[in-house]
Amino acid sequence: MTGDLLLTINDLAVGYDRQVVLDGIRLEFKRGSFTGLLGPNGSGKSTLLKTIAGILPPLGGTLAFKPIDGRDPVIGYVPQREALDPVFLLSSFEVVLMGVTVRVRPGRFFSKAEREWARHCLAQTGATEVAPKRFSQLSGGQKQRVLIARALATKPDFLLLDEPTAGIDAAATQAIMDVLRRIHQEQGMTILMVSHDFGIVRRFAQDVIWLHQGKVLQGPVSQLLSREKIEEIMELEFN
Amino acid sequence: MELLQEIFSWHSLSRNSVYISLLIGMACPLVGVYLVLRRLVFMGVALPQISSCGIAFAFALHTWGVIPHFEGSEHGLALFGASLFTLAAIALLSAMERGGRGMVEGRVGTAYVLAGAWSILLLVKNPYGEHGLLERLRGEIIAISDTDLITTGISFVIVVAALLVFQKEFMLVSFDREMAVTLKKNLLFWDAFLFLLIGVTISMSVLSVGPLITFGFLLIPPLIARLFARNMRQFAIFASSIGAIAALAGFCVAYRWDYPVGPTDVALLGVLYFAAFAIKKLIGLFRTDPAVKRVVRAQPPRTHR
Repeated sequence: MTGDLLLTINDLAVGYDRQVVLDGIRLEFKRGSFTGLLGPNGSGKSTLLKTIAGILPPLGGTLAFKPIDGRDPVIGYVPQREALDPVFLLSSFEVVLMGVTVRVRPGRFFSKAEREWARHCLAQTGATEVAPKRFSQLSGGQKQRVLIARALATKPDFLLLDEPTAGIDAAATQAIMDVLRRIHQEQGMTILMVSHDFGIVRRFAQDVIWLHQGKVLQGPVSQLLSREKIEEIMELEFN
Repeated sequence: MELLQEIFSWHSLSRNSVYISLLIGMACPLVGVYLVLRRLVFMGVALPQISSCGIAFAFALHTWGVIPHFEGSEHGLALFGASLFTLAAIALLSAMERGGRGMVEGRVGTAYVLAGAWSILLLVKNPYGEHGLLERLRGEIIAISDTDLITTGISFVIVVAALLVFQKEFMLVSFDREMAVTLKKNLLFWDAFLFLLIGVTISMSVLSVGPLITFGFLLIPPLIARLFARNMRQFAIFASSIGAIAALAGFCVAYRWDYPVGPTDVALLGVLYFAAFAIKKLIGLFRTDPAVKRVVRAQPPRTHR
C-alpha cells in the first residue's frame, strides 16, 4: 500500500478572502506516509492544511485525490482544540460520535456497532476514561486525544492534524505523538501534521514540508532537516 | 388548585390561551437552545420583533388594498407576513455574517429597532390594529381560536420532531463547522433547515402571543437551564420544562391578579433567572474543591506571637 500516491497538488494557491498566502505549491503525498508541515507563525501552514481538507477553497491550481476502492478518500480532520466552543455541554463520547456521522444517514440514529466503534477509537487514543466527562472541562492533552479519536471514528484514509501538540506539556505531547506513531505503524495511516516544532517533526515524521519565506520545500526528514540543509536554508535567510 | 380548574375548564375563555402559552413555553426554549449554542442571542431578540413587523406589514397590505380581504383570512395572512419577514431577515443576516464585514451586533440591533418602529407605524393607522394586533404586539394574549391552537400545536410538533430526528446533523454543523465540511456535509442546507425551524417557531409564537413573550421564552429558559444542565439532553429538557412551568405559573398570576400575561411571564422568567443564578453561586461557594481541601489540611497550624 505504501508508495501509491494519495494526493497530488499542482500549482496550488491558498489564502483567505481571495488574498493569496501561498501559491505555486506542488506537493505529493504517498499512501502510508507521515508528513510534518513545518513553518513559523503566519507562514500559511494551517491555511494549506485547511485547503487540503476542503475547508477552504483553493484560490488556484488543483488538488487531485486518487480514489481508493472507487471512492474519494475519507479525511479525518483534527482542528486546533481552542476552535471548539465550551458552551456545548457535550461529553467526550458524544464528540467522538460526531466522527461516525459520516456513515450514518441524516435522520438515522447511531447503531450499536457505530457506538462500539466510537468506544474503540477512544480506547485507541487512551481516552476511554474521559468518555463520560464533559469535553470542555478536559485538559489540553485529553482534548487532543478525544479529537484524534473523533477523526479516527470517520475511518479516515488521510489524517490531518492542526498543531496537535501546541500548548501542551512535554509528557502529554509525548503521549499524543506515541498515539499517532502507533496509528501510523499499525494501520498504515497517511498522516499530515502541522507543527512549528522541529524536534517533534524530526523524531516522528518521515517526510517534511517546510514553509519558508513563501517557498514550499518538501523532502524526507533525513535530508531536509539535516544540519547541513538547515544551515544552508538559514544562511540563505541571513544573507 | 381551584384557580387551575377554573383556567382549564372547558367553558373558560382562557383555556386556549393557557394551552398556547404552554405550547410556546415548551417549544420556544428548544429552538432557543440553538440560538444560545450558536451565540446568536441577539438574533433571538431581534427576530420576534421582525416577525411582528411582518404581521403588521401583511395587515397594512390589506388596508392599502394591495391584498383583498377575505373573511377568516387574517390568520393565514399574518402567518405569511411573519414567516416571510423572519426567514428573509435570517437569510439576510446570515449572508451578511458570512461576508464577515461590519459589526454583527450593530446589524441585529438596527434590525430590532427598525422592526419595532415600523410595526407600530404600520399598525397605528390600521383598523386591524384596533382589533387586538397592537395589544398582541405589546404581549397581551388575546382570544385564541381552536383553529389557531391546532395549527400552532401541529407546527410545533413538526418543529420538535425535526429537531429530534436531525439532532446529530444540527449539532455537528453548530459545534464544529470545519469538521462538518470535511465530512462532506452541506452546511448551507443544514443551516437553512435549522433556521427555517427557528423561523417557523418564532412566526407561530409571535402570531399567537406577540414578540415579548416569544423572545422571553426563546432565551431565558435556555440561559437558566445552561446553569444546571450536565449534558445536551438535560439542557433541552430543563429549558423546555422551565418554559412550560413559567408559562403556566405566569398565566395563573396574570389571571388571578388581572395582569397582562406577556409581561407577567417574562417578569417571572427574570425572577427565575436571578434565583437560579444566586443558587448556582451559593452552590459554588459551599462546594469546595477536594484539591483545595487537601492543600488546606496540609498547611501547618498558625502560630500567634
